[in-house]
Amino acid sequence: MAKFEAGMEAMADAYVFETTSLLEQLDQVLMKTENESSFGEEEINEIFRTMHTIKGSSAMMGLDNMSKLAHAIEDMFYIIREDNPVISSMSDLYDLVFTASDFLKAEIELIQEDEYTATDFTEQIDKIHAFAAVLKGGEAAPAAAPAAAAPAAPAAAPAPAAAPASAGTASATDFTAVKVHFEEDCKMENLRAILVINRISEMCSKLEYIPSDIETNSETAQTIVSDGFEINFCPANGVTIDAILDTIQNTPNVKTCEVMQRGSGASAASADVDSTSVRIHFEDDCKMENLRAALVINNIRDVCDAVTYEPADIESNPETAKVIADDGFVVHFKSEKPQNVFQVIESTPSVKSYEVIDPNAPSAPDEGTEEGAAAAAAQAAPAASAAPAQAAAAAAPAAAPKQEAPKPAAKPAAAPAAAKPAGGGGGAKQSLISVNLNKLDTLLDLVGEIVITEAMVTSNPDLKGLRLDNFQKSARQLRKLNGDLQDAVMSIRMVPVSGAFNKMTRIVRDMKVKLGKDVDLIFEGEETEVDKSIIDQLNDPLMHMVRNSMDHGIEDNVEDRIAAGKSPKGKITLSAYNSSGEVIIVVADDGQGINPEAVLAKAERNGILTKPASDYTDKEIVNMIMLPGFSTNEQVTEYSGRGVGMDVVKKNIEKIGGTVSIESKYGEGSKFIIKIPLSLSIVDSMEITVGSSIFSIPINSICESFKVSPEQLVRDTSGREMIMLRGECYPLIRLYEIYDLEPVTVDLFEGIVILVETDGKRACLFADELIGEQQVVLKPFSPLLSNYNVKQNGMSGCSILGDGSITIILDVSNIVRDF
Amino acid sequence: MEENNNMTALPSEESTDIIDSNEVLSFSIGDTIYGIEVIYVKDIITIEQITVVPKIPDHIKGVINIRGRVVPVISVRKRFGIEEIPYDDRTCIIVLEFEDGNQVGIIVDRVQEVISVKPSDISNTPDSKNVNANRYIKSLINLESGIRLLIDCYKLINDDGSVV
Repeated sequence: MAKFEAGMEAMADAYVFETTSLLEQLDQVLMKTENESSFGEEEINEIFRTMHTIKGSSAMMGLDNMSKLAHAIEDMFYIIREDNPVISSMSDLYDLVFTASDFLKAEIELIQEDEYTATDFTEQIDKIHAFAAVLKGGEAAPAAAPAAAAPAAPAAAPAPAAAPASAGTASATDFTAVKVHFEEDCKMENLRAILVINRISEMCSKLEYIPSDIETNSETAQTIVSDGFEINFCPANGVTIDAILDTIQNTPNVKTCEVMQRGSGASAASADVDSTSVRIHFEDDCKMENLRAALVINNIRDVCDAVTYEPADIESNPETAKVIADDGFVVHFKSEKPQNVFQVIESTPSVKSYEVIDPNAPSAPDEGTEEGAAAAAAQAAPAASAAPAQAAAAAAPAAAPKQEAPKPAAKPAAAPAAAKPAGGGGGAKQSLISVNLNKLDTLLDLVGEIVITEAMVTSNPDLKGLRLDNFQKSARQLRKLNGDLQDAVMSIRMVPVSGAFNKMTRIVRDMKVKLGKDVDLIFEGEETEVDKSIIDQLNDPLMHMVRNSMDHGIEDNVEDRIAAGKSPKGKITLSAYNSSGEVIIVVADDGQGINPEAVLAKAERNGILTKPASDYTDKEIVNMIMLPGFSTNEQVTEYSGRGVGMDVVKKNIEKIGGTVSIESKYGEGSKFIIKIPLSLSIVDSMEITVGSSIFSIPINSICESFKVSPEQLVRDTSGREMIMLRGECYPLIRLYEIYDLEPVTVDLFEGIVILVETDGKRACLFADELIGEQQVVLKPFSPLLSNYNVKQNGMSGCSILGDGSITIILDVSNIVRDF
Repeated sequence: MEENNNMTALPSEESTDIIDSNEVLSFSIGDTIYGIEVIYVKDIITIEQITVVPKIPDHIKGVINIRGRVVPVISVRKRFGIEEIPYDDRTCIIVLEFEDGNQVGIIVDRVQEVISVKPSDISNTPDSKNVNANRYIKSLINLESGIRLLIDCYKLINDDGSVV
């Protein structure tokens, strides 16, 4: 893996993850602005920030090509932001940025391959520079643009809304100055310095560093080695100096970080904020109000500073309970984000209500969390202006943005400033972590083992015939907890399908432009959750289907649509919902639908019909387009029509244990319905025996099981056995015959028959005996066995039962297929 | 003395290439004693209930549960084309583990001992391919107590020598 800067391999995962999500964000911002066909200041900043981060981290990883491309875009948006030029061709601009984003994405994919050679982005970079030059009014030669933009960039990047507001007022003493030394021989100290700056930029309201041209001048590496890298910063609101110092210290390759001058950062940050007072009332009769009050204090200490409260002796004096019950419990605290504190208060048990007491104004009524934010902000402003003498320089920066925007929550301009510290891991506690999927897989495996082991213990043969009331009680408890544990692990792995859906927006956008079709993409139920491992497999099939709908589904001519009485604008709907342990995802379009005659004719030509053409139902015909090598589109287009599309979709979906079916009405549109299991690994199943073998049939494919009576048995002309059940005839499959096993009984009336259904096909399986229902953990077959087509023979895996014996899990669709 | 002779007969560099570890577990099938490199041996267990998996080749007897893992087992007799005999209390399953973490059990008549092998003890198989079992033999180990046939465990479990 020589593709990364030495010592950076360990960061590769994080880099790929971070950059991918940044690029996705970028796409979304772009898509949003494209729809509104204008750039807001916020969006420009967002794009700028994204590119800046990608630039920095790519440079750090030693991926110069990506870094340069990101740099070019960053420059362009710098011009857009600073000069506010008239953009002559928005679509050109979008194309530039979209292609650049595609290049970066493709490059990220490449990096993950073993063999990697950097792609040359020079052409694209030149295009961007040229465009940027045009934006600049041709004054600056393309080459000059980056140089001019670069030095200003880092300072402007962090918290753009807040920076200008505080820049003028922060006095020199508020700066904390540190000198950072990097590990000896770590090379490219300037880039490592950029990394430090990137990491802390969002935590600081003001940030300067010496040497300042680290991004452009590689000679600064030498300077940094000899003199160290000097950073002057003011912490952003709600961030402590120590947090920033920690961050610096924890940046890779940083050897030492010495503080030369410590500013009044932390205290200043909280001094900026006027104290907020809250009166809390507890629920009536909840008793021991003093202790509940102490609980509140404990909880909010984490999220705010300078907590004082009345009555003060709640912990030692039980009589305060009465005082609190009568008059409420008053808490004073200082916090830049009082709404966080309000939330904590609200979520503390037994708190009935709380009200914010304004020291200056008459007390405000009960506040919800959102109004709370607005009120607190509004409150801080008058407070600051009421006491200009003391507050002076310190209070000004905090108050300034608020005076402009009395309701920060409502006004987007101030929102990023407020939201950034929380999102960037600054002051507020982070409640999200990203975890390597492998670890989750291990966890899931372990839970599977526990489920098996639990069955081993509770149905241990040694316990047979014993009366163990207490044991059974504990066993039930254990089973319940295991169930909860399983649910919890599953829920960790669940991700909403919106991620996969959002990717389609981009595809639809591109195809809209290319094909000249006007289409709305509509999402429904995108919050539906699916196991992460399934989602990953879902992207390609979804993409195929959406492309299909765009290409073949929606009519080429608007006139055709209007003639058919449809709205001129096409509609593609992606919807997802849960239904009995499965997730159903539907890709529907209101296009021309599938012409059954054309499909049938084509199928006949391709010689894939297995019975006379007139015997096919419409449903069967429509589903024929998923057969290998079938494509109704005569012309192969860029997007679809290679005749592999739907076939691949079907294969991919089946790989994750799902099914695809198509519903279509010629002239009205088509629907592709994907059914996928919620989770892959733990299956509710019915155990049956055939001879000495135990098989498990997934419950969701079983309709019923019954004993056959002689009059139900029917034979067709070729002697094949059929079972007649409530007027319907189903083929009988004797498991011992298809699997060459020695059964206990070959007598149909002695054994048991299980009616199974899959993909609309029903059949009866004949086995010796039903053992019972159990949750089994699907273990894939060893590679040695999968070489021999066990899957095609109807076995999807195996599992270990409570007594340690092995059961083979049957895949009904593959058994029934041939009958 | 014998050692010296072999030294001259076989350059040691060449020999170290053929064998993956210098300890070999020997086991017997009928009267013949075979060896398998110890690095591949994960465990030796007595024969237990084997779950039949339908529709797989005869030499794969089925799967067993080894501490929560489902491991396929191969009958060495069947693989070598030797007539199978009923399992007795000396019948063992040697559990092999390969580099990719895959485990496979092999059923042998009895396990003998672990022997240390010097590179000089090893010689190539005679170039006759007419015996079926020879396909799975990697090299010969000459010991004072007799000759041991070193099995190529990759070929043993998969004809093309790969653990897919």
